[in-house]
Amino acid sequence: MPCLIVACGNSDRGDDAAGPLVADRLRALGIPVEKRTGEGLDLLESWSGAESVIIVDAVVTGAPAGTISVWDAHRAPVVRDVFRASTHAFGVAEAVDLGRALGRLPKSLTIYGIEAAQFEQGSPPSPPVLAAVEQLAFRIAQSLEAEK
Amino acid sequence: MTSKTIKVDYLARVEGEAALQVKLRGDRVEDVKFKVFEPPRMFEAFLRGRHFLEAPDITARICGICPIAYQMSAVHAMEQALGVSIDPAVRLLRRLIYCGEWIESHALHVYMLHAPDFLGYQDVIEMARDHLPAVEQALRLKKIGNHLMTVLGGREIHPISVCVGGFYRVPPRSELLALVEDLKWALDTSLATARLVAGFEFPDFEQDYEFVSLSHPDEYPLNEGRVVSNKGLDIPVAEYEEHFFEQHVRHSNALQSQLRKRGSYLVGPLARFNLNYDRLPEIARQAASDCKLVVPVLNPFRGIVVRAIELVFACHEALRIIAEYQPPAEPRVELPLRAATGCAATEAPRGLLYHRYQIDERGAILSAKIVPPTSQNQKRIEEDLWHFVPQIATQPIEQVTLRCEQAIRNYDPCISCATHFLRLEVIREPET
Repeated sequence: MPCLIVACGNSDRGDDAAGPLVADRLRALGIPVEKRTGEGLDLLESWSGAESVIIVDAVVTGAPAGTISVWDAHRAPVVRDVFRASTHAFGVAEAVDLGRALGRLPKSLTIYGIEAAQFEQGSPPSPPVLAAVEQLAFRIAQSLEAEK
Repeated sequence: MTSKTIKVDYLARVEGEAALQVKLRGDRVEDVKFKVFEPPRMFEAFLRGRHFLEAPDITARICGICPIAYQMSAVHAMEQALGVSIDPAVRLLRRLIYCGEWIESHALHVYMLHAPDFLGYQDVIEMARDHLPAVEQALRLKKIGNHLMTVLGGREIHPISVCVGGFYRVPPRSELLALVEDLKWALDTSLATARLVAGFEFPDFEQDYEFVSLSHPDEYPLNEGRVVSNKGLDIPVAEYEEHFFEQHVRHSNALQSQLRKRGSYLVGPLARFNLNYDRLPEIARQAASDCKLVVPVLNPFRGIVVRAIELVFACHEALRIIAEYQPPAEPRVELPLRAATGCAATEAPRGLLYHRYQIDERGAILSAKIVPPTSQNQKRIEEDLWHFVPQIATQPIEQVTLRCEQAIRNYDPCISCATHFLRLEVIREPET
């Protein structure tokens, strides 16, 4: 079963566009990616039935803008505050926690975060975030290639 | 005696950015402010100049949980302005898509947002560890509501098929019949939901509310009816602005709506249920009776039970509509343009939603007014807390805080769809 890639974020809110931009880059390479808002229940539904899932989202950990972080959902709890909360503050981290509680986590679930600096409505993404988008798309494409 | 300031920074499970500040001196409440600090979103301003056909799609963006409500109030207001009436089969489809929204929104609120308060969990994730089947039920119920919206609207969030005059596309009968098995399951599960939440413990708290909702002679209200209250109001929607006004208060970016000379009022499930109980189908009335709900329900904490009864109604109504559905001859009617003003109110899951538009002879929107349910409930939320906090003021401050959050969530407030938290601050001052 191919790996499901889900990119979360809002293209019109500054660095929150990181996820959708990674999706665009991967699609240009011929790799299918689902774009989602990042709403937790929707995410939980999106990976239903998938064995291997990669999620890409903007994060705020305090690192410099453009820093790429990686979490393995099975190894460590996902820190809730780093993901931008979606509707009713139920986002990526909550989807992972609820998925775990319900026994609905995919066998493999990797979350890539691109450090965001600003979420201004209508503003373009920061240059370091744009650079990270390129890096991360390349890294994901390489990892998929290696698994073939 | 020292003074205490307690802050809870992330109260999740409400929609939008808001804060609550409660000042206590001893057991006395000195001040309650429900502060909406989310910036104004200017929807009414940027509707100006847009074509009238765009109103349902633009206003749907106000909310990701209840886009149908915005679309429904918008299309009905425009149709009223243009003096057109829609095919009865289209009218039924609009009720049906609204049922989908009620199912997904009520399932979300009852189980994921409000039930953890009653069961003593921090959130639904913690609750899932002990109540796995209930959370699984909630997810499936929500999915069924979303699916119904997708079949009729093209997608579940901000559907694209609803338009002024009807729908861009209507489903063949077979697409709706394919939903029946799921909806039957949803109906049974809604009945079980009502029994489950009726067993919760409710604070002993009742208020002399003015309940306001739509009222239709033959139906539980969704898309049309007169605006009525339990205190004598009974007006056509066109007179809404003569009786209700919005006021800006310094501590909130959301306007507070009030009834002229009467003040606060309550919209939403409790109001609809109390004012339209006799128009619920037998199965919902029986469920209400089994849940020991006595009309009028004056305890806002029992709103969770009433929401579950409305889930029963929405599933039953969806099945009824599908059973008798025949596709309309035309999915939408012709729209003769004219300069006019039109208004409409429909029942969003959280309560009455009023829209008014003025358009010119080319169909450009000259002005728009939108009064969402939460701005109507805002003042009432504050008043509930004024009366409720003294009852619990002797409890530890953490308990007071939790109970205040629960009381706010009685209203399922939907402050916006941007970032989402409510900051709660209880300031306990020394007794003088």
